Amino acid sequence: MARNGTKTKAEGGTSQKGWFDWLGDKLDQWVDWLATTKPFAFIAGRILVPYWAWRTPVKRLEGGPRPSVQPGDNVQRMMNLVMPLKDKSAVGRALAALAIAQNKDEIYAGLDNVGTVHFARFVIVDDNICMFSVYDGDFSNYIRDFIVTIGSVFDAVVELVEGGEDVIPSAKHVEKFIDWVHDHDIYQVSDVATDILRDQEEANGDAGAGNDDLRLLPRKLILQLNVNRNVSLGSGYRAYPGYSAAQVRQQFGVGW
Amino acid sequence: MDDPVAKRLVDSIIADFPDHDPGKRPIHTVGIGVKGTFEASEVARTYCIAEHFQIKRVQGKRVPIPVTVRFSNGSGSPKRHDGWNDVRGMAVRFHLAGDRATDLIAMTLGEFFVRGVDEFLDFTKSARQTPVKRESALRKIGDLLSLMRPLPNPPPGQNQSGDAGTLDYANKHRFAQLAVFQAGMIGAPVSYVRAVYHAVHTFFIVGPDGVRRPVRFSWKPVAGVQTTKDTSKNPDNEYLQEELRRRLKEWPARMMLMMTIGEAGDALDDPTVPWPARRVRVVMGTLTLKKVAEDQVRDGEKLSFNPWRLVPGIEPSADPTLKARRDAYEDSRKRRGVTQCPFLPE
Repeated sequence: MARNGTKTKAEGGTSQKGWFDWLGDKLDQWVDWLATTKPFAFIAGRILVPYWAWRTPVKRLEGGPRPSVQPGDNVQRMMNLVMPLKDKSAVGRALAALAIAQNKDEIYAGLDNVGTVHFARFVIVDDNICMFSVYDGDFSNYIRDFIVTIGSVFDAVVELVEGGEDVIPSAKHVEKFIDWVHDHDIYQVSDVATDILRDQEEANGDAGAGNDDLRLLPRKLILQLNVNRNVSLGSGYRAYPGYSAAQVRQQFGVGW
Repeated sequence: MDDPVAKRLVDSIIADFPDHDPGKRPIHTVGIGVKGTFEASEVARTYCIAEHFQIKRVQGKRVPIPVTVRFSNGSGSPKRHDGWNDVRGMAVRFHLAGDRATDLIAMTLGEFFVRGVDEFLDFTKSARQTPVKRESALRKIGDLLSLMRPLPNPPPGQNQSGDAGTLDYANKHRFAQLAVFQAGMIGAPVSYVRAVYHAVHTFFIVGPDGVRRPVRFSWKPVAGVQTTKDTSKNPDNEYLQEELRRRLKEWPARMMLMMTIGEAGDALDDPTVPWPARRVRVVMGTLTLKKVAEDQVRDGEKLSFNPWRLVPGIEPSADPTLKARRDAYEDSRKRRGVTQCPFLPE
C-alpha cells in the first residue's frame, strides 16, 4: 500500500504514484544527499559533535596494549607512540630528526640487545615525533629493556617533546617514564567492531549496563575520536602471526 | 527417527520466509553448483591426517581431489535477489576415494548470531519478515542530528525484511551484536568468487604426531574481495550465476583454504566470538573452480551438505550450534527427499 492509500502495481493496483509519494521520495533523496554535503559536514563537526560531547560525555580510552590473556596475545604487539614536539616549526622537526640520525648505531644496537622487537621506526607526522614498533612480551618489561639499552637516545628525543623534561633522565625515573610512554601509546581500537561499546562501558565503570543500541555505535566512535585524536585501527595485519621474533630467528638460523 | 529439536529449528527458519518452496532448501535456497579440484598445500599434512590434506601422486604427478561447490544467497526465498544485502554461502564437498566424501560449509559472515538452539529459536522469531518501513525524511534528519546513521534504504522491490527484528534482538542480546552489525553492512559481492567465506565453528584436527589442535577454516579468494556496499540502488538482482558462468568459461577461479589455530582460552564452543588476529594461520590448500556443473539438480539442488560429514583427522567441537546443525541439515534433507548423510540412521 502506498503512503496515500492507493495500491501500487505490485499489489494489483495502479502503477501511478500519488503526488504525496512523489514528494516523499524527493524529500528522501534530498536528505540522503544532504548527509554527503560540505555544509552538513561543517555543522556536524562544529555544532553536533560539541553538543553531543557535552550532552553525553565520553572518557578518553587509554592507550597501550590491549589485555593479553592467551600466550599468542603476547607476540607481535604494537606500540604506537605519538609525542607532540615542543617546537612546532620545521626547526623543531629537524631537531627531532637529528636526534634520531645522530644515534642510529646506538638505537639499532640497543634494539638488537632487547631481542624481542620485530620492527621499530621513528616517523614525524605533523608536529609529532612518533615511534612505531612491534614487539613480543610484556609492555613494562619492553620499556624497561629500552631504558637500559637506548635510554640515553630516548632521553635526547623526549627532551624535545611536550612534558618530556619531567621524566628524564629515564634511568632515574623508570616507573614514571614507563607511565609516560604508556600515556603516549595511542588507543588501539579492537579488531571487533562492537568492542568499542564495551571499552567505553569499562572506562565509565558501568560494564554490563545494558545500554545497547547498535545504531549509536557511530556516535560513540565519533565522540571517542573527539577526545582521542590518534588511534590505531585494529591490531593490524600480520604476515606470519603467532610467532615471536626469537622463534623467527631460531627457525631461520640467524639467532644471536 | 525424527528429531523434534531439528524439526523446530527448520520450521523456525521456514517461518521467516513466507514464500518458502517446500521442495527447496529452507535457507540458502538460491544457489549454483560448480565443479573443481582441491590440492593440499605442502604443509597441510603435517597438521592434519585427513585424506584431503594429503598429497597424492600417481607416476610422480600430483593428483588433486575432485570437489563440488555450491555457492548460494543466504535468503530462504526462492526468488533471486543477488544485488541485495545478504550473507552468501559456500558449501564444498571433497570427493574422496571409494565414494566417500567430506564437507566444509562456510558463509561470508565471520561469526554466527547465536550460541545454541534456544537462542536460535528466539532469534528466528525476531527475524520474522515484516513490511519494510523506509525511514522517513524527518526521521533521517533526526538520525543525522543525533550522529546516528540513518537506516539504509531498502533495495528496489524489497517489501518485506527481517532487519528490524534482528536489530532489535541484537540490542537486547550482546552476543548477537557483532554478527548483526556485520550482516547489516555486508553488501553484495560482485562475484561469488570475490568474497571471503568462513566456516565459523571450531573443529579439532589431528596431526600425524597425534597432536590435536582447535582450528577454524576460511576460504580466501585469489581474485580478491570486491563488494557492492550500497545495495539500496542496486536493481540488478540476477547477475552472480551469470558472472560465474562467464568467468569460468574464460579462466578457472581459485580460493585459498586458510586455517587458524586456536589457543587455550579461545572461544572453542561459541561461534559468536571471533578469535584474535594474532593466532597462527596456515595455508591448507587451494581450490580451483573449473566449470559450472552441467547438471544443476544433481550437483547443486539435490546435494545434501552437512557440517558433520567429516573424515578421520577432523572432529567437531562441542559447539551446541554445530551439533544442532547436524540434525537440522538432516531434517531439511529428508523434507527435500535427497540423499541421506551416510553417518545418520534413516
